[in-house]
Amino acid sequence: MEITLRVNGRDHPLRLDPRTTLLDALREHLHLTGSKKGCDQGQCGACTVHVDGRRVLACLTLAAAVQGRPVTTIEGLAQGETLHPMQAAFIKHDAFQCGYCTPGQIMSAVACVREGRASDDDQIREHMSGNLCRCAAYPKIVAAIREAALQSERA
Amino acid sequence: MADDAAGLYGKPSARIDGAAKVTGQARFASDEPVANPAYAYLVTSAIARGRIVRMDLSEARATPGVLDILTHENVGGQARPPVGPDQNPTTTTLESDRIWHGGQIIGVVVADTYEAAREAARRVVVDYAAETPSATFDSPGVQSEPRQAADPEAKDPSKGDAAAAFAAAPVQIDAHYSTPTQHHNPMELFTTTCVWEGPRLVIYEPTQSMYGLKAAVAKQLGLDLANVRTVSRYVGGGFGSKGAPSSRTVWVALAARRLKRPVKLVPTRDQGFTVSTFRAETRHHLKLGATRDGKLTAVSHEGWEVSSRPSSYNVSGVESTARMYASPNIATKVTVVHADRSTPGFMRAPPDTPYMFALESGMDELAYALGMDPIELRRINDTQTDPVDGKPFSSRSLMQCFDQAAARFGWAKRNPAPGSMRDGDWLIGYGCATSTYPSNIGPAAARLSLTADGKATIQLAAHEIGTGAYTTVAIAVADGLGLRVADVAVQLGDSDLPPVPVAGGSNNAASTTHVAAKACEEIRSRIALAAVRAKDGVFAGRDPASLKLRNGALVGSDGNSEPIAKAAGRVGGTIEVHAENVPAGLPPDAAQGLYQGRTQMVRGTGRKDVTAFAFGAHFVEVRVHALTREIRTPRVVSAFAAGTIVNPLTAYSQFMGGAIWGLSSALHEATEIDRRAARYTNTNYADYLIPVNADVPKLDVIFVPEEDTRVNPLGIKGIGEIGIVGMNAAVANAVFHATGRRIRDLPIRIEDLL
Repeated sequence: MEITLRVNGRDHPLRLDPRTTLLDALREHLHLTGSKKGCDQGQCGACTVHVDGRRVLACLTLAAAVQGRPVTTIEGLAQGETLHPMQAAFIKHDAFQCGYCTPGQIMSAVACVREGRASDDDQIREHMSGNLCRCAAYPKIVAAIREAALQSERA
Repeated sequence: MADDAAGLYGKPSARIDGAAKVTGQARFASDEPVANPAYAYLVTSAIARGRIVRMDLSEARATPGVLDILTHENVGGQARPPVGPDQNPTTTTLESDRIWHGGQIIGVVVADTYEAAREAARRVVVDYAAETPSATFDSPGVQSEPRQAADPEAKDPSKGDAAAAFAAAPVQIDAHYSTPTQHHNPMELFTTTCVWEGPRLVIYEPTQSMYGLKAAVAKQLGLDLANVRTVSRYVGGGFGSKGAPSSRTVWVALAARRLKRPVKLVPTRDQGFTVSTFRAETRHHLKLGATRDGKLTAVSHEGWEVSSRPSSYNVSGVESTARMYASPNIATKVTVVHADRSTPGFMRAPPDTPYMFALESGMDELAYALGMDPIELRRINDTQTDPVDGKPFSSRSLMQCFDQAAARFGWAKRNPAPGSMRDGDWLIGYGCATSTYPSNIGPAAARLSLTADGKATIQLAAHEIGTGAYTTVAIAVADGLGLRVADVAVQLGDSDLPPVPVAGGSNNAASTTHVAAKACEEIRSRIALAAVRAKDGVFAGRDPASLKLRNGALVGSDGNSEPIAKAAGRVGGTIEVHAENVPAGLPPDAAQGLYQGRTQMVRGTGRKDVTAFAFGAHFVEVRVHALTREIRTPRVVSAFAAGTIVNPLTAYSQFMGGAIWGLSSALHEATEIDRRAARYTNTNYADYLIPVNADVPKLDVIFVPEEDTRVNPLGIKGIGEIGIVGMNAAVANAVFHATGRRIRDLPIRIEDLL
């Protein structure tokens, strides 16, 4: 089938098998490989992207289902060379090790703050528990989100 | 080199690959762009033992988009059998019709799209001649043999007469423990992409052993080593699972050759449980004998480990447990139990995680039997010499770790009586345990260049598996050449670069920093020599050894200095060296083996001069709900003494991540086996429990300063694995303190406390 995906502000016409997930469309067809495949069944969060500004699991979303809706991936978060405050906070707090879950963590974290669910550590822990990190950087992920959330409150 | 360690070592440095990782630009193996790939999907065995009688591929072949299907019938003879993690024979896949274990790879379907390959794989019909499989310990049909049956050189650490001493001991602990099957479950799947460039095979595959994978595939396919290249610039978590070559790679390579097209395999999470290795289940019989004042008189530790039918892979953690505490009498033994399973392999602190669970649980039981504080019991039996062979420890700061962590934790507030501490409906328990890991270092090679603008580039086929390897190497080069970390470019993860050992056994930091330091020293000495020979220079006639590279300049002991551009200009501006470092204790040609994928390592045990371990202490607070028996761990304090810490920022993450793995080992992780079918039943992230953010407590890591001049010149002990060791026992000990229930079989679940 032919569809057009709107990703990071650009339209991409694509010919896809109708069964193609948004994750595979991004990775295999648009070569936007920042979104990661960790389980392909909605259990790990490594594929988290924003659709209509809300966090969704790209592996559980058919590409055809988001036609015409704005998709933001980790590649679309920074403004040119300037990192998003959440990205900068992740580096500062060493909120990752191998980095494989990190794009999903950051996309989820940005949405978590936007949803108003980052007011304290326990709330962050709860609402970030859909994003697994096998290196177990969790305490530092919480610290990074808390700092970025404070910055966004001030801004 | 020890003098130079005063520079950048130990100063926190943000990861130089941090920006790549937070922007999605860090390229993991399956992110590498290849032209027009075909997609592979694995067909795996539904039975655990038997033979394939027939494979009906007609429906699969008829699936639109299918290009090729590989089975034992059409490619079985085209690859030599693989070897296991111990380099000995292991289970096979498409080489024959033989089924060794459930989930074994028996076919590879290749199609134009991932969707078509997946559909076709599900249409493959297999007729089996199934036999009754033996799943694990106690299953009918398993075969047991001492580890020496496969490795006659293996020695069980022993001393004196442990049986007699135990029988005579006034205080005795005699207990059995067990640990479950576990799977690493790195976030990144076990992907493989193969591309043929003429006669040369390029493999994009996450690996902890660039040269090991290269050599293994070359051998299996009969290729010249120069015709295999492995690329893995970032590895999405390894934990040992990507340390040994897996049997999948050659079939993807053959598929690509048959199709004359790149082929990309992304196995499912479920398939990863049998495509890669695992931590085998273990059993332990521990006997401790002690005097009434707490001195150990006998330590006896017998272990049993499961392996596959053809492999005797084992971890034999008695090498560590026999050396933990002073005892005049020591006896150990390890038995391998062969079952119809895939071959296990390295998983974070492979020997120490299960074996130290037994020893450190037993020490807590002994402390209770003696009516003694468990920290004091360890102090009484602490030793600065290896109890097995009498060599000195290179350094051992175990009690400093206990004392500092105990103070931070507030251990003094503990009432030792089980069940005595309570907060409303929550029973509170405090537990502690020793942590340890041997200090290993291997040979390594590197290419280093310095340009006159004061920028350096180092290249080596090291592995970034999350440990911060890019940054560790950059720190070593910046320190050695007197540059800023930001002035150093680091290239890793490509077998076209000089070799280093497998990223295993926590050797990475020690092995790579030493070769980086050696390469820097070669550059420094060339610059210094030119400077003292230059008649017009400020250093004319000086001793070249007295000149150092500091802050972008060549500096003399009298304070004279000259910018690096000028000093480097004398030797042509750009200086490039190829360095090989062979640690003391290895034969001079040890680096040569690296190029063939072989690693000789100087290990913490078995050295001629010293025994080298890092040590630590874990303290944990457990809360068990009085009514529901829910178990929480709100607070952890862990202290480690591991020699020189290269980068405290990333080291903290390593220790912390390890400690959380330890909590997980105590309370979460177990791969469940259907004992009749010998198949795993919880092969996904929802059913194989690992900690999520909300599971993780407040966690403090203490760095206990330690200078070790004997372990290696830079005093680096390695930190990637020690964090997990002993935490499972600390939790079990805390659960006993909270409830009076001694749980000797992991993981500890609510039902164990009802």
